[in-house]
Amino acid sequence: MRAVCKKAGIIFIIMVFLIFTLGPILWCFIVSISPENEMFSSTVNFIPNNPTFQNYAMLLNINTAQGQIFIRGLVNSLKAVSVTLIIGLPISLMTAYALSRFKFKGREIIRGILLTTIVIPVFTTIIPLYAIFSDLNILDNIFWLSIVYVSSFLPMITWVISNYINGIPVELEEAAYLDGCGKVKAFLLIIIPNSLPIISAVILMMFLMTWNQYQIPLILASSLDTKPLSMVAAEFSSKDMIKYGMTAAAGILALLPPAAAAAIFRKSLIFGFTQGAVKG
Amino acid sequence: MKQDGKLAYGFLLPASIIILGTVFYPIVKTFIYSLQRYKLTQPENKKFIGFQNYIEIFKSQDFQYAFFNTIIIMAVVIFIGFIFSIITAVILNSKIKISSLLTAAAVIPWALPPVVNGIVWKFIFYSDFGFMNKILFKLSLIQEPVKWLDGRYGTLLIIGLTVAWRVIPFCAVVFLANMQSIPKEIYEAAEVDGANEIKKFFNITMPLLMPSAAIVLTNLTMSGINVFDEIVALVGFRNLGQPLLIYNYTQTFSYMNFGYGSAVTYIIMIASGFFGYFYIRSLNKGGGAV
Repeated sequence: MRAVCKKAGIIFIIMVFLIFTLGPILWCFIVSISPENEMFSSTVNFIPNNPTFQNYAMLLNINTAQGQIFIRGLVNSLKAVSVTLIIGLPISLMTAYALSRFKFKGREIIRGILLTTIVIPVFTTIIPLYAIFSDLNILDNIFWLSIVYVSSFLPMITWVISNYINGIPVELEEAAYLDGCGKVKAFLLIIIPNSLPIISAVILMMFLMTWNQYQIPLILASSLDTKPLSMVAAEFSSKDMIKYGMTAAAGILALLPPAAAAAIFRKSLIFGFTQGAVKG
Repeated sequence: MKQDGKLAYGFLLPASIIILGTVFYPIVKTFIYSLQRYKLTQPENKKFIGFQNYIEIFKSQDFQYAFFNTIIIMAVVIFIGFIFSIITAVILNSKIKISSLLTAAAVIPWALPPVVNGIVWKFIFYSDFGFMNKILFKLSLIQEPVKWLDGRYGTLLIIGLTVAWRVIPFCAVVFLANMQSIPKEIYEAAEVDGANEIKKFFNITMPLLMPSAAIVLTNLTMSGINVFDEIVALVGFRNLGQPLLIYNYTQTFSYMNFGYGSAVTYIIMIASGFFGYFYIRSLNKGGGAV
């Protein structure tokens, strides 16, 4: 009897846990497939009688007005993610390697500056950045937008990679030096192949952080040709709240890629973040 | 060895250029702006005015209002976030068959774009067909829909809840890593002494979670100060219940008052730098699960 009670208790706790973590998203999904008249009707049905995927069909159809804006946003988000990764990943690997494996003057100072930069919020730099971008005529430019992303992720990502490299045994490189291998070669042939777990973790982290940006592009890249999916979804929400089903569908589509990536690669994600937050 | 040094600077060069150009230069520039009368609508009227902007800010009723709104949001985020991240960590730490699937579910809120998180919660608290009102109708607790987001404190509470919901997974993972590093022997010894689960939690687990609690608390604090996206999605740029970051945005980019906005930025930066200092310290010390 006690075992049954305990089992029922555990199942109850798990149910409550799942309702709290996934319930809000599930509700958003239900709204997105509910026909308008059913949602507003006085009946208090939770699940629609005639679910429809029309909102999704419209958003993913390039021939509708909403679809055009939405797909544009999707492409812009993907572009920003690519540029951020292509520029950010090699630079943070190089920086982390230098901080972990080189002895040079000012290393501790640079480490300190790097750590300080982790906690500088983006809004403290955004006013002059806007002014500079405006002067240089590079507002609404995905490349320069991505550079700002890189600068805001770089300290944290470098910190995470550097902590990982610190854990790689130096003996591997020392053996290579004896074979006449230089530092650059050791970086390419030993450090990088031995850092693959952390490299995949930071790729995931950078993807999530770039995909989720809203405030920076709102200020620096709000044109139709550059604004990311998150902004498109937010605009549906503020301007078209009458079309709540469309807003909900846009929200679900915008959260699907990061949510799926995080759930599938959860081990990698947790590994990456704890490497930065817990170990020092 | 000498060459080694040069090579090191070579490796650091690209990052240095980016950080100097897009972080340090703008921070200095923001300070210079903050000492100027600088409105983008009147560019010819730019002038050095010392700390005039700061004085004006501290006198401003709107700033004080926004300041207290931020404090309230922060308190809600810390309170809800702290309690529920410990609970989540305990659940994820339990040795049940599906704990891997539970982790998959738990990380999802963490991965959401904050602005979409705001949209998701808007549908929970929407007055016409929001989930909360539907539930309350169903239970016959209300006859008229509750307008959750029409009052100041209701709005702040919901914003805090929304932000906490998104950051709980990260905090839970930090606690979880800490919990898993606690040696089993300590629990076994306590069991020999006849301690039950609850006693073990409060007498062993809780005290040993202190190092990660520092990281979690600073993280929650920073999330509370830095809320922006969720608010835009939930209520837009309205004045009611407006916290500091929204106040700062509207002053700067709606009224184009760059001087005043920069001064507000500096005040928020110093406040969050104060908390950030503790964060850096706990990172550098090695935090919890080492």
